Amino acid sequence: MASILINAIKRLHVSPQIRLCSLNSAAVTTTTANKTINILKKEWEFPPLYTKPREVWIENLDSVEEKKLGLIELHPMVYAAPPRIDIIHSNVIWQRKYRWVSWAHTKTRAEVRGGGKKPWPQKGLGRARHGSIRSPLFRGGGVAHGPRSGKSHFFMLPFHLRLHGLTTTLSAKLAQDDLHIVKDLELPTDESQYLVDLIENRNWGPSVLIIDDTDYAPRNITAATDNLLHVNIMPVYGLNVYSMLKHDTLVLTQAAAEKIEEKLLYHLHSDNRERMKKFKIDQV
Amino acid sequence: MATVLRTHSAFARLLFGKNGRILNNSLDLGAKLLPESQLALSSKHYSSYGKSPFVRKIKEQYNYEIEKNPPEWEYVKRLLPFTTIPKIIPKDSYPSGWVPPKEEALNHPYFLSRTKNAELPIYLKITYRGMRKISIIRKIEGDIWLLNDEIKQYLKQKNKRYVETRVHEVARLIETKGDYVNDLREWALSKGF
Repeated sequence: MASILINAIKRLHVSPQIRLCSLNSAAVTTTTANKTINILKKEWEFPPLYTKPREVWIENLDSVEEKKLGLIELHPMVYAAPPRIDIIHSNVIWQRKYRWVSWAHTKTRAEVRGGGKKPWPQKGLGRARHGSIRSPLFRGGGVAHGPRSGKSHFFMLPFHLRLHGLTTTLSAKLAQDDLHIVKDLELPTDESQYLVDLIENRNWGPSVLIIDDTDYAPRNITAATDNLLHVNIMPVYGLNVYSMLKHDTLVLTQAAAEKIEEKLLYHLHSDNRERMKKFKIDQV
Repeated sequence: MATVLRTHSAFARLLFGKNGRILNNSLDLGAKLLPESQLALSSKHYSSYGKSPFVRKIKEQYNYEIEKNPPEWEYVKRLLPFTTIPKIIPKDSYPSGWVPPKEEALNHPYFLSRTKNAELPIYLKITYRGMRKISIIRKIEGDIWLLNDEIKQYLKQKNKRYVETRVHEVARLIETKGDYVNDLREWALSKGF
């Protein structure tokens, strides 16, 4: 397996930067014509047994042309999950609906102006019996079961569906070549045009979602993305299925990718019974 | 009627109040006691409304020290609940009859990974008041159709009748029509899953 990778690396142009390895991963260095790249082999608490971990290039944002700085391994449970489009659909529908309040409103027979008096006597006229001219039977009367203002459509999707929504979407993005891992978000300039050129050059989709592991990002990238509405930065806790589908390309920093993986793997392997119980609003 | 002076003013408390007493006549050993109060220990009646004193601010001044990671923390850690499933201690045989997965399981073109609690992912679904029984095999990795053929063949051999199965490729599961959970478990354990 490693030899295939090494041959592939020899055929590609790789920058001579040496990467720092993280504490809980063993780095396998390979020298190819005076250039060293680190292939990080991670040690997971629950390592994958059968499916191979996915290997992704680490790219740079320093220059417009892409340079491959190294390789990283990603856990298959998070980045190679089966493509469950039904779960993605449920997540998108949930994200759209749970915040929506419908403001449609109709008046009931009690609220429509008038209609307090009995229009004609009960018996004797040969007409149908009525109590008020504003009942739903009448033209101009109130609506019987119409929409009532301020109706919330809040509901909570079960925890495992939300969890698998994230894993499926990340896997789909990776499988469709829309996921890129970047070393960090240091840009040489703070001009938006630089990012536009970069995206154009690398054939990334028109819209890009950049995910960093911290709330604060370097000044250059925040200034550059400020004017571009289709390029957005988000911290790890803001990752959601709707945003991932809305933006064509997903760019994760290496730290962000590892953090997402760690959090999702924790939830995939821990006891979720408390979270799976019925959602109660007044709980602290 | 007995007149009772009940005030919250500090000045009145200085003149009429006592120090170092709490509601049920017990001594607050943490508070600093004045020598006068120690004389009149047993003469106060807390049971009557008029004679029971107000509860004062109890200033607890115990000597304590803060220590990070003391050796006693190990005993506290034992009592905390598990966050993830703990690692299984390898043994030759387990009294519950649980069989661990074997390494030869990785050699097949398909794979059945264990659940969070290290159990086989084979379940029974009963619906229609017991009239419909479906055995489900979940968490399948690898060639699902090959696994389906093998299972059909195995169950036919064992039960001498054709067994209908349903393959759900996207959800990675196989459903068999009928209660063949024990047969499937035997088969899975024989393969080492």
